[in-house]
Amino acid sequence: MSFPDLLILLKQDLLQTFRVRRVKGKRTEQKSALRRFLGPIVAVTIGVVIIWALVMFGPFLWPFIEDVLRSEGGLGIGATLFNALMLFALLGSIMISATTVGNSERMEYLMTMPISLRTLFLEKTIIIIFYNSMIWLVIGTPLFIGFSILSPYPYAFLSVPAFLVLMLVLVSIGVAIGGLLGLIFSRILAGRRALKQVGYALMSAIGILTGTFWYVSIYTDQSGEMFRFIFELADMVGLSSNLTPGYAVSVLTLGILVGVPLTLPELLVPVVYAVIAFGLVYATAIVSEEAHYSGWLASGSKRSSKVKVEIGERTWDPQPFRRLKFNNTISVSIWYNITSIRREARVFTQYLLGPIRLVIWMILPAIIAGESALDITGYFIIGAVIPFATLYGVYFAGYETVYEGKNLMNLQLAATNMQDYVKGKALSAVPFSLAASIIVSVIIAFISPSLILYLPVLVGSITFLTLASGSIAANAAAMGGDFKAERMITRQRGSAVQMPITGWSMIRAQLLPLVLGFLGIYGVVLVGVFIHPLLSYIAAPGFMALCYRLYGSYSHSAGVKLAQIEATKYL
Amino acid sequence: MIETLGLVKQFNDFVAVNNLSFTVSPGEIYGLLGPNGSGKSTTMRMLLGLLRPTEGTARIMGHDIRTNIVAAKRVMGYVPEEPVLPERLTAWEYINYVADIWRVPRGSEREQEIEELLVLLDLRDASDDLIETYSKGMSRKTSLVAALIHKPRVLILDEVQAGIDPRGAATIKEILNGLRSRGATILMSTHVLEIAEQMCDRIGIINKGEMIAEGTMEELRVKAVGQSSLEEIFLGLTGGPDMQLIAKFLEDAGAST
Ligand SMILES: Nc1ncnc2c1ncn2[C@@H]1O[C@H](COP(=O)(O)OP(=O)(O)OP(=O)(O)O)[C@@H](O)[C@H]1O
Ligand SMILES: [Mg+2]
Repeated sequence: MSFPDLLILLKQDLLQTFRVRRVKGKRTEQKSALRRFLGPIVAVTIGVVIIWALVMFGPFLWPFIEDVLRSEGGLGIGATLFNALMLFALLGSIMISATTVGNSERMEYLMTMPISLRTLFLEKTIIIIFYNSMIWLVIGTPLFIGFSILSPYPYAFLSVPAFLVLMLVLVSIGVAIGGLLGLIFSRILAGRRALKQVGYALMSAIGILTGTFWYVSIYTDQSGEMFRFIFELADMVGLSSNLTPGYAVSVLTLGILVGVPLTLPELLVPVVYAVIAFGLVYATAIVSEEAHYSGWLASGSKRSSKVKVEIGERTWDPQPFRRLKFNNTISVSIWYNITSIRREARVFTQYLLGPIRLVIWMILPAIIAGESALDITGYFIIGAVIPFATLYGVYFAGYETVYEGKNLMNLQLAATNMQDYVKGKALSAVPFSLAASIIVSVIIAFISPSLILYLPVLVGSITFLTLASGSIAANAAAMGGDFKAERMITRQRGSAVQMPITGWSMIRAQLLPLVLGFLGIYGVVLVGVFIHPLLSYIAAPGFMALCYRLYGSYSHSAGVKLAQIEATKYL
Repeated sequence: MIETLGLVKQFNDFVAVNNLSFTVSPGEIYGLLGPNGSGKSTTMRMLLGLLRPTEGTARIMGHDIRTNIVAAKRVMGYVPEEPVLPERLTAWEYINYVADIWRVPRGSEREQEIEELLVLLDLRDASDDLIETYSKGMSRKTSLVAALIHKPRVLILDEVQAGIDPRGAATIKEILNGLRSRGATILMSTHVLEIAEQMCDRIGIINKGEMIAEGTMEELRVKAVGQSSLEEIFLGLTGGPDMQLIAKFLEDAGAST
């Protein structure tokens, strides 16, 4: 490993993301100074607002905060937060190192440089850590500055640098363990294509579910029920939970803030963690290097099929659902959409389980209320299926429209009826939301038998809601999609949140469908519950008709936009 | 000096390069020819340490690529078949970046050299633009400038002329001839047989990963009796177009118009 090389690489990587100087060339689209500095400006604004708010309103809050933190176990709360931060980094980067190595073609120009690959992967890991830290940097630093202004203790301001350093340590540990897990996992699955797909699916599912349960456990204040066995295990081998990285950080940052006296071991433990973090990051680089050379991750997708595929029909006309006849464009679109999603198990699972992240917040109140709320639980669960419909629309029609990317050229050249093409994408989400709504219906039937009467209405409405959501999302994607985004590498640059649809368009893609869904579906069900069941069956077709209208008109406007989109947007 | 010693590259069950041994000496341009998918790029990518050989190895100026790849890379310049460059840098920034990595001393001398290369390849005008705005040929030229800036003793060029304008191609030809006479070792692949015939001192023809003929133009002519042009030799060895199938296709196509 060579340190000067590392510095050159880091400098160039950062220069590419944060370009301060104007690009002089004539061809390059000029960004105004405001746009170039938008990121830092927003970050500083957030920071100033946080500090201002703390200084203004903090004095009322401070005694309370101080009380809590100084109380028995008070630093434990901080520990939970910091451990969560670490876990966040871990879950967010499970596949990152593996993806970086797997996509090494994109770094060919780096790999032919006379630098050891270890240095190269080390640099990539550091960049990932940096991106993962950014949000904590922007939010956490002003919080600590604000609190140390409030704090009467003379050394309180030391909590700011302590936070900066230790936050980096935590994120490094998280990212490195996540990266190592992904690499080890890829090693186990190397060369086994079917198993790999299953493995990716499992891994993504575990990631989503663990993440969700972690939030739940924070929310329900059971301080990590799920992870208790880990702590018990730690206890058994003589590590108390006070030795978790989060606790060590909590003591040094929040502890300093409220003037809790430090002991020598409390000062040393973070140093040990810093050393461990460094070791883990370095280990990630070594394992990445090994992974690259041994070709565990060499993409098998380039391999052509060994079985010769016979061309059976003369006119190619795949029908995705037997019996259901669509026109050619719609059926090709459905077929293409489902095929390209299905081929990648990771994406497929992300799509299918993704809504759980949102849904959990809706059924949480019911879980917390527990037995006493059994009557209304059914209603919560009805609410929970709505995001499945809207998000499947966003994923299958919104994201996938964006991921068409260069293929848009083919579609435009072939003068494809884009309205139908969009319709096909929305339709491809239907089987999945149908399945989700049927599963939910079965659950409701058990929990609240009184709602059984409304289940057919629910299933029907959800189906049409999916269609409407899909075309609304496709329309938003046509307006604000980043057509150069690639599904494979969305996470490669380390930002866990690089979205194919950005900013307002993403809100546009989600808001209307959600409002439509909640008003419509609750409307349809409640009208029946409170007035007369028959009314539900009268209202539902109205809702479906509305959805169908929206589906038609939004597909149309999405189609028009896509047909007119300029080639520079996607090439 | 490039010496490959029984290079083999296997992707899963597919053998892309099979037991390839050849030598390129200093002051020599060696042309690697072969049909699409015959293993030219794979061979070059192994030499650069981008792929690990399944078997065999190679030495670049004496550095074994298995044990000392960093030292080998230090003396090599490479223009890939499809250059992937950092899109968010300008050519000027990128070339300086490369020069930094190779420890070319900073200063006016280096700047002047970069400037000259950019002017030679008609890139000066675009060199302050982001690479993402470049055309294909411009990217390839940028990649070439980056490969030349650190004065490599070994050059590996994968279809460097593809998509380059005539003036650029002529410039490249002159530059390569000049470097050869200064003792550089050059390995290039191309599909344009005239280029191979004009520029290469020796030619290796590979098919399905195996070397099927090697030598100077004279030697190849002697081997392939009665065939004088490189095209004839090449098609004779690797097979020409299937005239029957073409006729059938044209017939079908004619029927539909
Ligand atoms: N990463 C990979 N995985 C699987 N097979 C690969 C991979 N890279 C190359 N191949 C296969 O190896 C063979 C040789 O490819 P290579 O790119 O070396 O051919 P080439 O001679 O450079 O062809 P061209 O003239 O088209 O550039 C091809 O059959 C290709 O399909
Ligand atoms: Mg090639």
